[in-house]
Amino acid sequence: MMRRPVALLALCASLVFSNQALAAETLQRWVSAGGALSEWISALGGEARLVGVDTTSQHPSSLKSLPSVGYQRQLSAEGILSLRPDVLVGTEEMGPPPVLAQIRKAGVRVELFSSKAELAAVDENLKHLGQLLGAEQQAATLASGYHQQLDALQAKVRQAQAGQKAPGVLLLVGHAGAKPLIAGQGTAGDWLLSQAGGRNLAAHQGYRNFSGEALAALDPDVIVFSDRALADEQALQALLKENPALAGSRAVREQRLVSLDPTLLVGGLGPRLPATLQSLAATFYPAAKASLAQ
Amino acid sequence: MKQRVQPRTLFICLSLLCLLAVWLSLALGPVSLPLFDTMRAGLRLLGLPIAADGLQQAEMILGQIRLPRTLLGLAVGAVLALSGVAMQGLFRNPLADPGLVGVAAGAAVGAAVAIVGGSWLGGLPEVLAPYLLSLCAFIGGLGVTALVYRLGRRDGQTNVATMLLAGVAMTALGGAVVGLFSYLADDATLRTLTFWNLGSLNGASYQRLWPLLLVAAGVAVWLPRRAMALNAMLLGESEARHLGIDVERLKRELVFCTALGVGAAVAAAGLIGFIGLVVPHLVRLLAGPDHRVVLPASLLAGGVLMLLADLAARLLLAPAELPIGIVTAFIGAPFFLFLLMRGRS
Repeated sequence: MMRRPVALLALCASLVFSNQALAAETLQRWVSAGGALSEWISALGGEARLVGVDTTSQHPSSLKSLPSVGYQRQLSAEGILSLRPDVLVGTEEMGPPPVLAQIRKAGVRVELFSSKAELAAVDENLKHLGQLLGAEQQAATLASGYHQQLDALQAKVRQAQAGQKAPGVLLLVGHAGAKPLIAGQGTAGDWLLSQAGGRNLAAHQGYRNFSGEALAALDPDVIVFSDRALADEQALQALLKENPALAGSRAVREQRLVSLDPTLLVGGLGPRLPATLQSLAATFYPAAKASLAQ
Repeated sequence: MKQRVQPRTLFICLSLLCLLAVWLSLALGPVSLPLFDTMRAGLRLLGLPIAADGLQQAEMILGQIRLPRTLLGLAVGAVLALSGVAMQGLFRNPLADPGLVGVAAGAAVGAAVAIVGGSWLGGLPEVLAPYLLSLCAFIGGLGVTALVYRLGRRDGQTNVATMLLAGVAMTALGGAVVGLFSYLADDATLRTLTFWNLGSLNGASYQRLWPLLLVAAGVAVWLPRRAMALNAMLLGESEARHLGIDVERLKRELVFCTALGVGAAVAAAGLIGFIGLVVPHLVRLLAGPDHRVVLPASLLAGGVLMLLADLAARLLLAPAELPIGIVTAFIGAPFFLFLLMRGRS
């Protein structure tokens, strides 16, 4: 009597495995419409299968030489079909819906992933990608490594907090320094700040424009600046030049400004995140810099 | 006196151009199909018994992507151009644009409400979302136009100048409302709103095509019947009245046709500028101001221009695509300047 369920189980398992093997074998041509997803695909060794990416896929930089299918929300059905893909992967931001319906109708698999800024989404996405790529083992290793890195950082941050109060931080997103938007609650930027042990001073939801005066009144200990046009030192210079009101804040007086790659803020959590969080935490807790940098 | 093209020649040329544009729109795209396959798939779609082997892809691309897109382009172009003629006739001003009575601004407000409001409600069911957007845009356009028309009326008369100014004011007000919504919107919603404002024929499907085709057919049948009345209006309102034209009724019809037509076009494809302004000019330049020629010729020319602009929109950056509003403005604005400069010399 016990035989039958076991046999059934074995049958199911073999079906599942053969299906997955089949998926990995047949899904040779991929189009990715999501920055973080493209990064994960590359990290899982699937970069050679990508035949097209969207405009948010900027890392690794070799992806830029692939045909661009445009912005993830404005995909073109025929444009994507012209790349003869087996599968189109993207986040729930991908669209418009009628175009996705047309692509499905043409026999291309459309696989949706989560772009939420939370660890559970990363696990889920990696597992799903691993299945599609036939690299489940690798995906599991990547996911557990990711967790380890973030957990280790959390522990160090807690340690550092014993010696120093969590700093008040503002994350500004701007274009050549002008009229920065402040990342409020519920944004990917807010998640980043809290993971690195910062206390986001902005209490509003989403991204908002602040007046120079309101910015100065918040008096942040650290300013994190993400600029779409300039990088690193240049971006910080431009920010201070365009927003003289910031000059009086503690962050500027103590030279605690740090720039952040804006591509990290869109399309979900990617593989470059732990390193970024580490450097953010080092700026937040200068006393514990040595231990955090390890 | 400039040499004018005979109406018959113009219609023959435009019809041929229209056929050519339809053919190009069906035959060209990012997916390169062999010409023979395209033709066989086309014939199969027309119901001819042709063997289906090896034609699945061609048939799918032709039937599900290019044909609805071509029909949408033709209808939107024709309706926008006809509405342009109607508005220029109503205001007796060559600078009039279908947006002048507030229909575009109203539609934009409707779209903003649908896009931003929808995201506040935590996203609508996927089946409903596209229809809600179109419906809100259509209702917004019609509502604001009705308001502008109402504001222009006094003592049973419609004052065209008041209506024009009311239209300008309502457009400004609509712009402010859209601005407010974009301020309140989150990043993702903002991008959707921006792209909607640039217009696109992307993702055309039959379900969303039928309402527009019906409206377009209605407008295309109705407006040319009023060509003589529009000709009389060219002389002036009181002159037209003395010629026995019911001017109030004509105004009402023109405004209604424009609101209905542009509202439906915008609901289906987003805001697409310059077709309504440039096409009537182009036709008048070629064939003179007789509305019996201008109306049907604008209908054809609007469709042709739209299809050609869409061809550029989908081919230039393939496999990505440009919003079509950018292409029409890039073609339309220099052409308009050219007309202005030419008129002066």
